[in-house]
Amino acid sequence: MEPFYHTLKRIYVDMAHAETKKNQKTIGTYCVMAPPELIYASGAVPVKLCSGNYTAFSIGDDIAPRDACPLVKAVAGFKQTGLMPVYEDCSMMIVPITCDCKKKIAGMLSERCEVTTLHIPATREDKDIEAFMNQLYDLMEKLENVTGNTITYQSLSDGFRKVGYAQYELSEFIRLKKQMPYLIRGSHAMAILNSASYMPADEWGKALHKVNLSLEKRIAENKTVTSKKLPRIMLTGSPIVFPNIKIPLLIEEMGGIVAGDETCMGERGMWDPAVITDNSFDGMISALANRALRPCPCPTFADNSQRIYRLKQLIKENKIQGVIYHVLRGCLVYDFEYRRIEEELGKLGIPVIRLESDYNEEDIEQLRIRIEAFIELIKLKQAPEKVMTVRKDF
Amino acid sequence: MNKYYIGLDGGSTYLKAALIGRGRVIDTMVRNTGIDNDGTARKIAKELCKRNSLSASDIGYIMATGYSRKVLEVADDDISEITAHAYGVRLTAPKEYRPGMIIDIGGQDSKIIYLDSSYGVKNFSMNDKCAAGTGKFMEVIAQILETTIDHVGPLSLQATNPCDINSTCVVFAQSEVISLVARKYNRCDILAGMHISMAKRIIKMMKKSEKGGDILMTGGGALNTGLHHAFEEELMRDVYIAQYPQFNGAIGAALIASERG
Ligand SMILES: Nc1ncnc2c1ncn2[C@@H]1O[C@H](COP(=O)(O)OP(=O)(O)O)[C@@H](O)[C@H]1O
Ligand SMILES: [Mg+2]
Repeated sequence: MEPFYHTLKRIYVDMAHAETKKNQKTIGTYCVMAPPELIYASGAVPVKLCSGNYTAFSIGDDIAPRDACPLVKAVAGFKQTGLMPVYEDCSMMIVPITCDCKKKIAGMLSERCEVTTLHIPATREDKDIEAFMNQLYDLMEKLENVTGNTITYQSLSDGFRKVGYAQYELSEFIRLKKQMPYLIRGSHAMAILNSASYMPADEWGKALHKVNLSLEKRIAENKTVTSKKLPRIMLTGSPIVFPNIKIPLLIEEMGGIVAGDETCMGERGMWDPAVITDNSFDGMISALANRALRPCPCPTFADNSQRIYRLKQLIKENKIQGVIYHVLRGCLVYDFEYRRIEEELGKLGIPVIRLESDYNEEDIEQLRIRIEAFIELIKLKQAPEKVMTVRKDF
Repeated sequence: MNKYYIGLDGGSTYLKAALIGRGRVIDTMVRNTGIDNDGTARKIAKELCKRNSLSASDIGYIMATGYSRKVLEVADDDISEITAHAYGVRLTAPKEYRPGMIIDIGGQDSKIIYLDSSYGVKNFSMNDKCAAGTGKFMEVIAQILETTIDHVGPLSLQATNPCDINSTCVVFAQSEVISLVARKYNRCDILAGMHISMAKRIIKMMKKSEKGGDILMTGGGALNTGLHHAFEEELMRDVYIAQYPQFNGAIGAALIASERG
């Protein structure tokens, strides 16, 4: 776990710069739909700038309109204050336009550094993929200008290799994480996944490899985090971005375990690898475009039935007993999909609760009450402990 | 052997206690929660016993629930309100009630609990961010209209032309009521309007996916006949009321206690 904590601490506590080699540029991204492979190919390092920072949020609260989501407010806050070196380091930022607020922050951020927007279509037909490929070619040119490097067949393949390695280790990690009884807490797993935002893919993959080895060792030694049958909860909905991880922490504090995670800063972000079907350069760009749009269960798309499919799959694989649906206040597209998902999962007998929250500490008690009751609801079947002493007084 | 059990419900406004034995509710008691929750709880437990000629050793197990359940150290264990209410209705629901939905209206929050056919909790919805759908709010309105909470229900049932209340926020609703008073609207009509708007707000919380079974009201809010009427009108169906509605959580806690000790 060390390298991950170290990274999160460096970025958020020490307010340090992202670790880059000399003369290496950093490129900020705001969503998993910005392909990291292309950024590595240009010799730069991507950092994900989506933020869960409370201070930045409260500053951004006065800048962005009341109904904007806290993630956007936090970005606005950082932009205003220049508080976080990782933001200041960026030579360029890539903002996929997944909602109206993202559009507006793209405009705002461009006052500070070069910004490239990626238009995200509402559908994902062949024509959409083609148009997205054209955008990626434009992005490539911009990356080349910013970094002064040319993206070649070779450098792009290297980019694929770096990201692919991290994805491979991630799939191993997810396989190990699923083991019951548990080898690792879900909130720790989420911290690992969040730290991927600020570490180069190959280094992150290497660090994760070590974690995987130690988990394998734990299996061999029969070491689990708990022998108790903890209610298995899956988290889905709006992104859970470090340091705003109060919900996973509360779930595990209240005696549950985050056994599944269908959020974009979590497992979803890197789950689907880009599949190259055609070995040409164009084939690689096409693979990136396909990966960004086709499998993505993001509610920005008009038809997102694949999210339901994915959720059901995760429920089955991880033996999920209840789903917590996180809604960041103002995050309309996620909130919109709540009803349908609740209805679909209701048919499977899986209880779902919607937790609306913000980037502050004020609602922790209210969240706690709900999460506690939800976990109790799942736990109730367990046999109670008995005490049998005669009472003398009250 | 011990045959009696006490449930304590440390609500946001009131501390409720229920004494049960042989599967029946024997006695109930309510006090203002006050500052010393645990002290009040101990006193109330003592009084309950005294009133029923029991001694402390007759009490097999004490279960706490409600907001302040963690500080009620006199209790042997605690359980969430959701579970407590779901248990309570096993003793307090009318015979013809088919388990489906419980609407609990307390002082500071309102919740909906969805039950399966054997009273198990399937799911719940909760509102505690907005005071407009809660009992305390009705108490404030009662004060503005120069009456008391126990008259609010009967008065609103005399309404002939319920007012339209548009505000969905307490602060605005309060000023809306004041302006209605100033415009000489009948207070029965104002109260009926308030109840309708409160019922509508809570109905909005109901999960569309949870159908089946009947609806039952619990919590102090269920004592409000005007609110009950508004629910029936808005839902266009029968809404049952639990026996001892305000004590339902305490009764449920006592029932769980009886399974323990
Ligand atoms: N006699 C009554 N008639 C109508 N409403 C009442 C009556 N007594 C209490 N209430 C309502 O019940 C509310 C308190 O309910 P309760 O379930 O005790 O709350 P909590 O559990 O949050 O302390 C009061 O705010 C009030 O609106
Ligand atoms: Mg209550």
